[in-house]
Amino acid sequence: MLEIRFHGRGGQGAVVASELLAQAAFLDGKRPQSFPFFGVERRGAPVTAYCRIDDREVRLRTSITRPDIVVVLEPGLLRAGSAMEGLKPDGILLVNSREEPAALPAPAGVRRASVDATTIALTHGLGTPMMPIVNTAILGALAAASGAVSLGALEQAIDRFVPAHPAENRAAARDGAAAVRVAPPLTAGHSRGASSAVARAPPLELPDAPMAVASSATIATAAWRTLRPEIDQRRCTRCNFCWKFCPDVAIELNAEGFPVVHLEHCKGCGICAAECPPGAIAMVAEG
Amino acid sequence: MTQIVMSGNSAQSYAALLARVQVIAAYPITPQTTIVEKLAEFVANGRLAAQYLQVESEHSALQSVVSASALGARTYTATSSQGLLLMHEVLHWASGLRVPVVMGVVNRAVAPPWSIGADHADTIAQRDTGWIQFYAESNQEVLDTVLEAYRIAEDPAVRLPAMVTEDAFYLSHTVEPVDVPSAETVDAFLPAREVRAILVPGVPARLGSFTGPIEYVGFRRDVARAMERVLPTLAAVEEDYARRTGRDHGGPLPTYRTEDADAVLLTMGTATTTARAVIDALREEGHRVGLAKLRVFRPFPVEAVRALAASVDRIGVLDRSFTFGPTGAAAMEVRSALYDASPRPLVSDFVAGIGGRDITPEAITRMFALLEGPEPPELTWIDLAAPEASADG
Repeated sequence: MLEIRFHGRGGQGAVVASELLAQAAFLDGKRPQSFPFFGVERRGAPVTAYCRIDDREVRLRTSITRPDIVVVLEPGLLRAGSAMEGLKPDGILLVNSREEPAALPAPAGVRRASVDATTIALTHGLGTPMMPIVNTAILGALAAASGAVSLGALEQAIDRFVPAHPAENRAAARDGAAAVRVAPPLTAGHSRGASSAVARAPPLELPDAPMAVASSATIATAAWRTLRPEIDQRRCTRCNFCWKFCPDVAIELNAEGFPVVHLEHCKGCGICAAECPPGAIAMVAEG
Repeated sequence: MTQIVMSGNSAQSYAALLARVQVIAAYPITPQTTIVEKLAEFVANGRLAAQYLQVESEHSALQSVVSASALGARTYTATSSQGLLLMHEVLHWASGLRVPVVMGVVNRAVAPPWSIGADHADTIAQRDTGWIQFYAESNQEVLDTVLEAYRIAEDPAVRLPAMVTEDAFYLSHTVEPVDVPSAETVDAFLPAREVRAILVPGVPARLGSFTGPIEYVGFRRDVARAMERVLPTLAAVEEDYARRTGRDHGGPLPTYRTEDADAVLLTMGTATTTARAVIDALREEGHRVGLAKLRVFRPFPVEAVRALAASVDRIGVLDRSFTFGPTGAAAMEVRSALYDASPRPLVSDFVAGIGGRDITPEAITRMFALLEGPEPPELTWIDLAAPEASADG
């Protein structure tokens, strides 16, 4: 049985990617199972999806804690650290990244693969620069790098089950398959900055009632930002629209009345840029 | 018949489509929403000729289908967790009025603290409302059971509402292959509802109005007697379904590898699948263990549990909820059913998987270790701490 875990952000299509993989595996004659785990159901929030592929009926109804393959739809999620948790020592790590796979952090033994699924998606008009829909491009890369499913079955699954732009999504899958790069595994002692160890949770200590003392004033709520707003003060008319519309109260006005973005709270939703009458706000990709 | 890779929620929607339901009431709640979304799609694109009512609450959703059902329509609605709790009053109305409403419920934890994870507390809390309750293990079982539920609910001998439940995410959002019977097969199995309208437009009547104690006792006893006829009706309906589709889900308490078992684990819902794999592994090591799946919780299959108990020494019960009694709800029912059994097997309750916690193969293995151990505890909370830590300890 092959166990594949997807890590993405709400809106990127990680759940659909896992389901499409299951559909493709079924067309290949396999018995698939796929399901997502949602924390908060919100655009931009981390999402995990699980896909099992076997020759016979899957007899496990649990999340995947020892994946053969980890697929990361947004490289920022690698920084969070938990994406590689439990990845098998001879497993595969596939990341949507412009970087060469050899530059990816990974535990020893893991085959590293990367593909610039964002550029492929945008080339085919899938999603927006703010939120590219990268799932079909990365599935093509997964098919080529792992053989988990055939590219033919994947294209067929896309044709049948992707309601919008099936031709563009098929092309993205083909491009992803052609563009994926694989680096040889690192040897023990040379692995960098990544561990597949399963974190041991500390002993459980609960308060008297299910109450969390929490306020976004004291908690950095911007962990999932992929784009940041940059304000051109020369064009800013101090109309305060960005301050009014920011859903996270992450914009304050300084003494002169110019907006200042608190990046520890800004989730990069882009509403300020969309609302700004003189177009003084640009959304810039995070490094 | 075609095989489609679909979610448990889609299995609910396809079953309602195949049953040719006439009235659907929809109110969204995670993780149920995609059931009524799919039905909206079927209605909008003309595949299903149903009245689709968007209502302002779950209370109204159930009231709408109760009323439509009293007028003779075949109806469907679905909910989960807090939504089901809000329906509680109307659940009693449905059974008391003897309307054959069928409802999908996605089993989700009850707040607080807020959770969208799998947990049976929502439907277990409705066990006393006079509804038939089915718990499904797979998406296939969801689809087949919804169709069977209509036949049973509408049977003149029964005329009771039924809920078909599925675990949040482990079925609701899990896609896997499902055999979808043809419309012809289902039409032959489940013809249009024989019109047994309780209310008739143009004929003024009151439904469920004030009743003196003598009549009241009689009506309650009628519901109780109807409940007694559910399991015999299920047996006949399943036999017919199996004849037409080749699938038989095995009555209210199907068993797995119990023939020479000393210890049997009784499960509900998706934990059953994982438990099958664990039992195969333990059998390889020489353990005489087996499984019984509690598929119907109301009416509780007392006779089937007694028959199982006649051949085993120890019964473990996996409760995916806790209701603040001496043990979990299923264990209490099992113990009650076995009070007069002789010899009487030991019953050990395991509370596991609540709030969406994974029920892992390791957790089920630990349950069997406790069950086969020198002194199986009356009640054990599994996985109270982190999974890795508890696997070591």
